[in-house]
Amino acid sequence: MGTLFGSLSTALSAIQADQTAVQVTTNNIANANTKGYDRQVPLLEESSPVDIDGLLLGSGVTVASVQSMRDNVLNLRLNSETQQQSSLNTYVSGMQQVEAIFNEASGAGLSSAIDGFFSSLQALSANPSDSTLRQSVINAGNTLAEGFNSASSALQQVQSGTDQDVVQTVQQINNLASQIASLNQQITSLQGTSEGPGDLVAQRDEVLNQLSNLVGNATVTASDGSVTVSVAGGAPLVAGDQAFQLTTQADPTTGMNQIYSQGANITSAITGGSLGGDLQVRDQEIPSLQQSLDNLAASLISNVNSANKQGYDLNGDKGKAFFTPFTPSSSGSNQGAASSMSMAITDPSLVAASSDGTVGSSGNLQNFANVQTNAIISGQTADSYYANLVGDIGTSISSASASATAAGLVIQQLQNQQSSVSGVSLDEEAANLMKYQQAYEAAAEVVSAINNLTDFCVQNMGAQASGA
Amino acid sequence: MGVSLNTDLYQTVMQGIDTLQQNENNDLQEMSSGKQFNNLSEDPVAVSQLVLNEAQASNVNQYLQNVTTLQNGLQLADSTLNSVVTALSQAMSLGVEGANGTLSDSDRQAIATQVSGIAAQVLSLANTTYEGNYLFAGTAVTTQPFTQDSTSPSGVTYKGNGSTNSVQIGDGEYIPVNLSGSQVFTPSGSDVFAALQGLVNALQTNGDVAGANTQLQQVFNRFNTQRTFYGATLSRLQSTQDYLTQEQEQLTSAQDQIEGSDMATVISNYDQTETALDATYQAAGLIPHMSLLDYLH
Repeated sequence: MGTLFGSLSTALSAIQADQTAVQVTTNNIANANTKGYDRQVPLLEESSPVDIDGLLLGSGVTVASVQSMRDNVLNLRLNSETQQQSSLNTYVSGMQQVEAIFNEASGAGLSSAIDGFFSSLQALSANPSDSTLRQSVINAGNTLAEGFNSASSALQQVQSGTDQDVVQTVQQINNLASQIASLNQQITSLQGTSEGPGDLVAQRDEVLNQLSNLVGNATVTASDGSVTVSVAGGAPLVAGDQAFQLTTQADPTTGMNQIYSQGANITSAITGGSLGGDLQVRDQEIPSLQQSLDNLAASLISNVNSANKQGYDLNGDKGKAFFTPFTPSSSGSNQGAASSMSMAITDPSLVAASSDGTVGSSGNLQNFANVQTNAIISGQTADSYYANLVGDIGTSISSASASATAAGLVIQQLQNQQSSVSGVSLDEEAANLMKYQQAYEAAAEVVSAINNLTDFCVQNMGAQASGA
Repeated sequence: MGVSLNTDLYQTVMQGIDTLQQNENNDLQEMSSGKQFNNLSEDPVAVSQLVLNEAQASNVNQYLQNVTTLQNGLQLADSTLNSVVTALSQAMSLGVEGANGTLSDSDRQAIATQVSGIAAQVLSLANTTYEGNYLFAGTAVTTQPFTQDSTSPSGVTYKGNGSTNSVQIGDGEYIPVNLSGSQVFTPSGSDVFAALQGLVNALQTNGDVAGANTQLQQVFNRFNTQRTFYGATLSRLQSTQDYLTQEQEQLTSAQDQIEGSDMATVISNYDQTETALDATYQAAGLIPHMSLLDYLH
């Protein structure tokens, strides 16, 4: 047979459970705008029934656990898309600085200097002894050399700016790694306890997402709840409660900071995240552009020089080098040709326009004109080589930003999906609140009814007993 | 499972506003610059074309300038040679006059003096300069080509050279722009100065004046043939100029087509974007009012 006090304790369990449920709901509402927060749900469970005189009677309700709503697969996909998007965005913004150096679309860039140089020579052909025209050839040569100098040094500036970003990003990565390690430790210690590590796991997910913004990484969740994080295809960053710091050290030849993990240089293996994007700009795009610029400069220097040497200057002497001849430091590499390009002659009379030593001959200027029209570099004319170079820069940027936009859309969708699993809807929480409030009121009503019944028992049955 | 509309809508609206503002910026930039693109990455292929187009345009502009410079020099050369023709015609008339057997010695002397004067005039014309350069010195343009020389039978020595110069007026197209002084004035057997001197000598010595004049006539004919070079070159330059001007126009219009923006389209795009942006702002203003919590009392 059931008892009044049995009912009282059942009602009490309901009141307690509803209080807990309201608490969870309140926490959800409080964190409605917390980034990375996973919505929590109280899992109510019927208490074990009690056998009273052969009757199995329910004994109320308990909150078995508070569950965080999370889709781990979604989180992983979101992290991997974030790595890609962040890498592309960083790449695009780095390359946009490069783009500005060669922005032919707005009239900046080298092509006007190249065109101006050949124009000045053609102008000279109409009046080869004119000192003003000769001076403008010298000036145009200077402008061309300075154009190459400044393009080359601007590239170097972008490169060293990117290098500084790399160092800062590595510091941020180390910082996040320490946070993950410490969260790992707390999560492991709470694993299996009634409190559960839900909030901490959500926090760690958020830090992992921040990490994905910075660098491509792979994560493995262990049975104790901790995650192991590695970068660059296997270099450890976090294992359990331990963070392995990455270090940077400048390369003695290039001056660019290399990234080390446990003593091993992992720079070239790093992909993804803003670090991946920065490294791609710093170690691949800029060196390759610098090389193209050097090759173009070296080719112009040697061809213009040999054109000048084929003719005679205004004094009737055999022509000399026009630009300072470039001597490669190592064979097969024109490194430094663009940055060191300069005029070998400053005297206008030394422009070798004449083909026979007479002052009125402009026959040798044909050799200069041929430098412009002949395929002098990689089977192309200087103009088309340069046109392709700027075209390639533009194409790299536009295709990377298209991919970044696409990745952004995927991320938006994943975030929508994620928030439909983990996100807090105030409407839903409000409805839950009403539900738990009503349940609480009902249980309180039961308590009050039992109170009345008990009162009734005590008053009436007690009075009967005392009256007897 | 709850669809958390609140946070999502904000994000979606923000992304929408971002995109729309970016579009609006691009349109504004296009309107103000009149160019379809202001960065390489907006249209890499077009920018590559633009670089080549500009290189070509720069060449064509220079060819056109060269043509103009050459025209000035060639016109001066042509008119100088015209003056020489007039002078030689005068000399020939004087020769006919001097061949008249009834003339006295002093009359012939007077005519000889006039012919000498003409010879001096022709010498001066042959030393004409343009912008400091001698027109008839071959490529030795800073050396005075014709000087008086009493040791020479013609009384004149050529100090220039026999070279001619060519100037580029098109891609791979070079045009010879002068004749050397020795080709024009002193080809062997048709030396202008020798012929004039011959006439003077005949007049002074009462020699074969008619024969000397016939010789001068032959030299004159030869000279006239030579000088057509300048007229022909000028007319070739004229047609080159027409062609280059046309090419310049084509290149300019190609450039406009590559980079010029279509204002009507841009402005209508801009209007559309602005309308969409307005609507998005209004929608964003409505979001905060929608929560069940507002109805809980």
